[in-house]
Amino acid sequence: MSSTTAEGAMVASAPAPRKRRMLPSQRHNLTGWVFLIPAALLILITSFWPMFEALLLSMQTGKGTNLNWAEPLWYNYARLFQDTTFKLTLGNTFVYLIIQVPIMLVLALVLANLLNNPNLRWKGLWRTAIFLPCAVSLVSYSLVFRTMFATDGFVNDMLMGMNLIGEPINWLGQTGTARFVLILGLVWRWTGYNMVFYLAALQNIDHSSIEAARVDGANSWRTFWYVTVPQLKPMILLTAIMSTNGTLQLFDESFNLTRGGPAYTTMTMSHYLYELSFQKNPNIGYGSALSYVILILVAVLALVQMKVGDKRD
Amino acid sequence: MKKTKLAKFAAASLLAVSVALTGCGGDKAPEGGGGTTGGEGGGDQTLTVWTWDPAFNIFSMKEAEKIYQKDHPGFKLDIQETPWDDLQTKLTTIAQSQSWDELPDIFLMQNNAFQKNLSNYPELVQPLTDSGINWDEFPESVKAFSTVDGVNYGVPFDAGTAISALRTDLIAEAGLTTADFTDITWDKYIELGKQVKDKTGKAMLSGPAGSSDMIMMMLQSAGASLFDDQGNPTIVDNAALNTAVETYTRLVKEGIFVEVNSWDEYVGGFINGNIAGVINGVWIAGTIQAAEDQAGKWEITNLPKLDGIDGATNFSANGGSSWAISKTGDFDLAADFLKSTFAGSTEFYDIILPKAGAVANWIPAGASAVYAEPQPFFNDQPVFQMVVEFGAKVPANNTGVYYYEARDAVSAALTKVIGGGDMAASLAEAQSTVEFAMN
Repeated sequence: MSSTTAEGAMVASAPAPRKRRMLPSQRHNLTGWVFLIPAALLILITSFWPMFEALLLSMQTGKGTNLNWAEPLWYNYARLFQDTTFKLTLGNTFVYLIIQVPIMLVLALVLANLLNNPNLRWKGLWRTAIFLPCAVSLVSYSLVFRTMFATDGFVNDMLMGMNLIGEPINWLGQTGTARFVLILGLVWRWTGYNMVFYLAALQNIDHSSIEAARVDGANSWRTFWYVTVPQLKPMILLTAIMSTNGTLQLFDESFNLTRGGPAYTTMTMSHYLYELSFQKNPNIGYGSALSYVILILVAVLALVQMKVGDKRD
Repeated sequence: MKKTKLAKFAAASLLAVSVALTGCGGDKAPEGGGGTTGGEGGGDQTLTVWTWDPAFNIFSMKEAEKIYQKDHPGFKLDIQETPWDDLQTKLTTIAQSQSWDELPDIFLMQNNAFQKNLSNYPELVQPLTDSGINWDEFPESVKAFSTVDGVNYGVPFDAGTAISALRTDLIAEAGLTTADFTDITWDKYIELGKQVKDKTGKAMLSGPAGSSDMIMMMLQSAGASLFDDQGNPTIVDNAALNTAVETYTRLVKEGIFVEVNSWDEYVGGFINGNIAGVINGVWIAGTIQAAEDQAGKWEITNLPKLDGIDGATNFSANGGSSWAISKTGDFDLAADFLKSTFAGSTEFYDIILPKAGAVANWIPAGASAVYAEPQPFFNDQPVFQMVVEFGAKVPANNTGVYYYEARDAVSAALTKVIGGGDMAASLAEAQSTVEFAMN
């Protein structure tokens, strides 16, 4: 749609015959479109076109580059429902989603609230310290966590030094502890990120509303819950959708921190998608189908959250 | 000390990642430049190589470069360290997107991955049958990995013959010598391992958790595999596999085999003297020798064999790899280079053998006197002669196109069994996972 308008705009804005003068509002509109076009084209070519190609791929089967249309076309999608490894990775991803996202968002909210206290000293320092993990690359922090939680790593040494455990815990070798380490990593890495969103939103809350609540005799918990949180709702919705989206596409931590082990029990869907497409006998069509399932899941969950969270009327 | 080592590993991994990423930028040496076979002067004389182990195959490549440079002064190699997992991913990505010019001239491929990659991407590498290499000088069993329909696609590099290496000073504390560990069964090995553990508190073996290398070595030592002759998975009702999994489970339960979480931890285990032995392909010798303070304290012998399995032997292999010339590689120069070094220079093998433990597949190299030389690091054992003798007795087994799928499925089953799961059920699950991947 934009390209035809674009050409129209180019022609119209050219200094050729000045028969028909544009109204200021029209001109305003056109300027907007012209500014939009480069970014829109880039998104179209680098994002939507590959997505369309992937959709076509997801309906093909075959090994390597030797691909044919699947019989029936939804064969790869039907196959996913038979795939026990896929179901396992789907389950893993939802475990992360259900446990990690609420913990992280609540923690971020609490921290943001604490740091928003006007009487707090060294505010900048605290904010920086909590936000800093977000400046670390996903791969580096995953590798550092992997090293820290090795059997002979820092965490075991520390716990043994404090006589809390008798012998080293094989953190990454057992399903429960491996998932715990992964979730811990996620919380460490992303809490500060979400906190910044809440801080920004808190700055926009009129302080008088909070003072009014205090004057009316509400304690700090009730003030927080009945005055601050409702005003943060749009931001909570935004962070929830972003975190859900991010968790469903989780890859780096699964790939680098736990390597999907033990026995696939920490592997995420995206990691499995990678393994299917690039590490094993490449089944690109099947991998594309899996990526579309992730897309659908993200879309559905975002929709649900918007319906549940957005009660503006 | 340990900490700094770990930190170094972490830093090295990071560096590898960043190098791999910048590698995507496409600062590749222009390929196919001159194509003058060994000609002086004219054309581009640089070959790009992807390979992974600095102590082993990278070292060997660098030595090969020096040898070839004697007759070809302008010749240069651009060796890019690429861990095998990354290399496989790159090959897949390049082949899938048909961006062939991203390929190096030469790359090393795991023997177990050769059939898979050739079946998925037949045009990935160039046929070498008519490259002038004398193929009779390589053993049939090793050539078979990289041969499809009678056409050779790879120059075999190492065979991966398995050795059982022992810290003689540690087992001596339990009153044992290398002879006690020679020609034994796994039952006996576990018994001896317990003695060592009682006296020294150290485990005999270690390995990355969730890796089935040990299982695969046990299987091959009995000529067994995860596939039958038709290529169908045989993970259930496989007597050798059942025994191998049971043996492995006992090793872990008795504390004789320590499962660690990474390759670095594995290497650290014996380098730091916390583990009294190593069972792996002979290429691990290069890594063992990194611990210079342990010189003279190591000896090698053959592997324990599986109890109660027909055809069980004390010999096996793990790993092994071959050089391939990529589709876009400078064929004339690369083929001549490989022909003059890896497939034609005893001088070359005499250099790389003692330093890197690169036991040649090239038969004429076996006649070299260097093989019989005692190796001071291994308490003056003629290690390489022993390995060649072991290698001749390794039973052949078939791996097939779906080797990695089957291996990973068995790894997952193994993890479940170690965690207390039922063996038959876990293996049946692995079987169905592989069948699923194949259909």
